Amino acid sequence: MVSVSTTKSTVLGAALVTAAMALPSLQFASAETPPERGIVSFKYLNYQDRQGIVSQTGSSTSGVNTISGASSIASSGTSGTTSSGSQDRISVNAYSVSALVPVAGKWSIGTTYTSDSVSGASPTYHSSGLTTMKDLRRAVDIQLSRYFSRGSVSLGASYSKETDYISRGFNVQGSLSTEDKNTTLTLGGSVNNDSINPVTQPGVEEKKQVAAGLIGVTRVLTPQDIVQINFGYSRGTGYYSDPYKVNDNRPGDRSAVTALARWNHHFDDNGTDGTVHLSYRYYSDTFGIRASTFDAEYVQPLYKGWTVTPLLRLYTQSEADFYVSAGSAETADPTQPTPPPTDSIYYSEDQRLSAYGAITYGLKVSKQINKDWLVDVKYEQYEQRAQWSLYGNGDKGLTPFKASSIQVGVSRQF
Amino acid sequence: MKKDVIQKLCHAVLLICMLGLSGCALGTAVQPWEKETLARPEMTFEGDKLDNAYTEHIYSSKEGASGGAGVGGGGCGCN
Repeated sequence: MVSVSTTKSTVLGAALVTAAMALPSLQFASAETPPERGIVSFKYLNYQDRQGIVSQTGSSTSGVNTISGASSIASSGTSGTTSSGSQDRISVNAYSVSALVPVAGKWSIGTTYTSDSVSGASPTYHSSGLTTMKDLRRAVDIQLSRYFSRGSVSLGASYSKETDYISRGFNVQGSLSTEDKNTTLTLGGSVNNDSINPVTQPGVEEKKQVAAGLIGVTRVLTPQDIVQINFGYSRGTGYYSDPYKVNDNRPGDRSAVTALARWNHHFDDNGTDGTVHLSYRYYSDTFGIRASTFDAEYVQPLYKGWTVTPLLRLYTQSEADFYVSAGSAETADPTQPTPPPTDSIYYSEDQRLSAYGAITYGLKVSKQINKDWLVDVKYEQYEQRAQWSLYGNGDKGLTPFKASSIQVGVSRQF
Repeated sequence: MKKDVIQKLCHAVLLICMLGLSGCALGTAVQPWEKETLARPEMTFEGDKLDNAYTEHIYSSKEGASGGAGVGGGGCGCN
């Protein structure tokens, strides 16, 4: 279970992706061409989130419990109340190492290892009932790719393990370009098999299986413009509830569709030499959640290998059909969770299933030291608020949620 | 809901095919010698792999929606 951890060993074709990593000195025509050199990369992440203090009209306190909690319950609460009126929740320290090796000109093998240390406190309902937790997540994935004159095929496998959660996944992806290589069709599929062993329920093992498919088209429009449209579908069955929350019983079936449109434009003519990335994603699932995500970043190369990239992300979602808002009794006394409606089969008081909007802004600075070495630092600030929702009214019983993160990376080519 | 999803998928596939077939209509074909800018890493959609992995994992742990860019990867019991 582990909160925020970090890996999500995700990423389609790890090899494909790694090939095109942020190494400005190299020129990869596209993800369909094999990498000319090997790459080893390291990245460290520090993440901390916090929430506003739950206001209460009753006399009880909203401290941190150590009952019925998440993963391995910490010996002492790490959450504290800061002078600015917010309460720390989860902190994460993670590092990842990845390597990509070209083989015989037509193949590549890529692998990533991530270790993810998570601790802090997580609510058991709405913004309340904070319970301490601590966990370590380790994840590894491997990707094998074969390149052809007009396309590529890759196979991947991933494995991740936490105290109470194991995930195993396989994926396959192929791409095919037109003769002029201006249009590329991409197809992908994956399956995941997860086992969940809640630490609070010894001997209990739950299962979850998810299958996903993706189809996309990438198209070169001009020498300075490239666009991509992806459609994704996923279907999962099994255990979707959160065993560490109270009043949480979710459907054992979840289907989701995504539509993603991306556009990269390079400013050649006006002399900035910068590149803007714009993207929009629409998401809809059978839990009743609809979401829109807008991303914008601007990559500005400077002198002597320096590059700065400011970014902005806007997100909003509707609430799940079975989300239960904080009632007036809970608002008056936050130690009492709101009971779900008596006739409801499914219910959850998880903040992540409520309606809200979120804003992220950040800055990445990188420096290409020479043709082999690249270093980068990235800082991001995130905030979620119920009243920022564009899809229905948010739950007024929730407090604002904030997070900040810093990443430090270094990579070397061989 | 299932029917709805299938319908959406059909629309998606249709749109993709149309985009592919009407490739020429989306601007004059860019020639190989015009692709120097397009070959720059910041003009690809892949980006910094480890950065993306961290970022996507954080968002999928804290938000209702996830995915869209690719397939694969592992799940987690994120709270």
